[in-house]
Amino acid sequence: MLELDAVNSAIALLTSSWEAWIWVIPGLLVGLFFGAMPGISITMAMAIFLPLTLYMEFLPAIIFLTSIYTGAGFGGSVPAILMNIPGTSSAVATTFDGYPMARQGKHNEALGIALASSVIGTLSSYILLAFLIAPVSTLVLKMGPLEMFVVAVWGLLLLGSLAGTSIARGLLAGVFGVLLGTVGMNTAGFIRGTMGVPWLLDGVPTIPAMMGLLAASQLLNLVNVNYLIEDQGARGLSFGRILGGVRLALRYPTIIARGSIVGVLVGSVPGVGSSISNLISYSETKRNAADADTFGKGNPKGVIAAEAANSSSEGGAMATMLALGIPGGGATAILLAAFAMHNIVGGPSFISQNKDIVYAIIFSNFAQAILLLFVGLGFVFLASSIVRVPLRFLVPSVLVVSVFGSYALTGSTSGPITLFLFAVLGWVMLRYDYPVAATVVGLLLGRLLETNLLRSWQISGGSINYVFERPGAAAILALMLLSIGMTGLSRYRRRRAAAVTPEIGS
Amino acid sequence: MRIRKGPRAVVWGHLAFLAFVSVIVGIYLIDARGVSLSVNNLLLVQPAAVIALILVACVLPQCFPLRTAADSEIADSEAGDSEPTDPVVETKAEGGQDLMRVGALAALLGVFAIFIEQIGFDIATFLFVAIGLVICGERRGWVVATFSAAFTLFVVYGYSTLVPYPFTMRIL
Repeated sequence: MLELDAVNSAIALLTSSWEAWIWVIPGLLVGLFFGAMPGISITMAMAIFLPLTLYMEFLPAIIFLTSIYTGAGFGGSVPAILMNIPGTSSAVATTFDGYPMARQGKHNEALGIALASSVIGTLSSYILLAFLIAPVSTLVLKMGPLEMFVVAVWGLLLLGSLAGTSIARGLLAGVFGVLLGTVGMNTAGFIRGTMGVPWLLDGVPTIPAMMGLLAASQLLNLVNVNYLIEDQGARGLSFGRILGGVRLALRYPTIIARGSIVGVLVGSVPGVGSSISNLISYSETKRNAADADTFGKGNPKGVIAAEAANSSSEGGAMATMLALGIPGGGATAILLAAFAMHNIVGGPSFISQNKDIVYAIIFSNFAQAILLLFVGLGFVFLASSIVRVPLRFLVPSVLVVSVFGSYALTGSTSGPITLFLFAVLGWVMLRYDYPVAATVVGLLLGRLLETNLLRSWQISGGSINYVFERPGAAAILALMLLSIGMTGLSRYRRRRAAAVTPEIGS
Repeated sequence: MRIRKGPRAVVWGHLAFLAFVSVIVGIYLIDARGVSLSVNNLLLVQPAAVIALILVACVLPQCFPLRTAADSEIADSEAGDSEPTDPVVETKAEGGQDLMRVGALAALLGVFAIFIEQIGFDIATFLFVAIGLVICGERRGWVVATFSAAFTLFVVYGYSTLVPYPFTMRIL
């Protein structure tokens, strides 16, 4: 399952230069810091730091961003446990038992449990990815433009229909993103929608738009929120008891394994990801537990289930992004944008031609997960003060960093102007419950969709029968139907999960 | 499909957003068709635009949610204020003052983004952070001045070191 030549090259890549490694700890710290700030999402943290990676080599850039991803996965659990406020949407289920544990004076154990479960969840998801990437890469190479088109539509359809409360709103967000993604000159040389603006010839500047939609819009939403926490942070932290929590988590390998499998599977489906996997894993663990009645009252198994699932979702989402070049959500969309910034096109050809880089990314994530254990242990001591940073300082500061970042990318005010316009668009979309991530992914996939559809049209000479000559496309269509059925099922389970899980804040 | 009867509210903001999307999609479609009617030009854009407009039509009824009896009472007590009863909007219910703060910060961001080169990165950043802090609720003058100055120095020097483009400065 492992391609040893590529593995050796990957190890050589990672050991030949220190440059790839110096970004791991800063990335983890950034992720932990932003993940622990209530209201700041993983994607926002990654979007803000994306412009910085423009001046890095490709591998260090991706390692830095995945480190943020890994760090934020655990960072979100700190305010969830200490304050009953999930730092990120993927830490919602952590509050169910984490906060009751904290109220019983077991916050050290809860933090230790969350850390150990996050580390093992991330590790196991990447181990799975390491073994699956080689067979997947041979499979995806057989895909032609029609198959790629169908897969991209599938991803968009899932993302649009799953995120948010209304399917129509989700799909509209996705299609609107696709249309915006086709502005400018297409592969056939036609120029549309530029309104005479020269910098729109290459299309809407994707990364400033993404930063506006994912980061700045949410910051505008936080203007009226103040997280000045009064008393909870006063709890003392004990290193020994945190380690006790780590040991406690290791006593439940079945729950960690179940959470990891749920996380990888759910994470690999576009549009689902860690914000849902933690709820599914929590409800499954509760359903199978002998002491189900103690869930929601400070049962450590609940924290283990939630954290193992939300951390392992990262590996699942990365699998889809690396193999198909289709981002499943905001975080992987940013990674794909980082690929594009380094003139690398993600997807089937990337994975087959650059297995060494793919393995290097996977192996560096092993290291990230292990380092997270140590960095995270130190971080929890800082975290109780970080979670009390008033947002009124953070909002204008992060907006400035976003504007400077977008200027750094474009070298003119086209970046900041795009950021501003998409921030306002994103804020309105958030207000009326449109999934912003669907627009981001649509924006990224617009060009890919059009190019592949054009190629299919040219190859087939416009004949619809071409679909039937491509068994791969037919198979993907069948898979699409199957997955839509599965997502229907997961929606049902999510509702059930919401029904069995206690209310936040109760 | 069963259409429930009863008093309905109008979510004006959502309606305006849908109008905005429709206008943008419509203008884009007209522009694309004006460039060329070739299949190579319209293969994706035209169907996607049509689908977007159909989806707008599907979402449109959600701008007119049913008022429940309780909502009607609240709305009546508010003497004609037709603020949304959309459950989504309700969960994010904000006062007019809160919305004004968001609007003020968004407008400030717009001015900052558009005129940053003309004003100068140093002065624009200082003013943005200072006014932004006040909008976000900071009232202590010395905190506003100190934090804005320190943050401006940090960001301007940090980015000038990292980024190869020249940054227009007025003081620094």
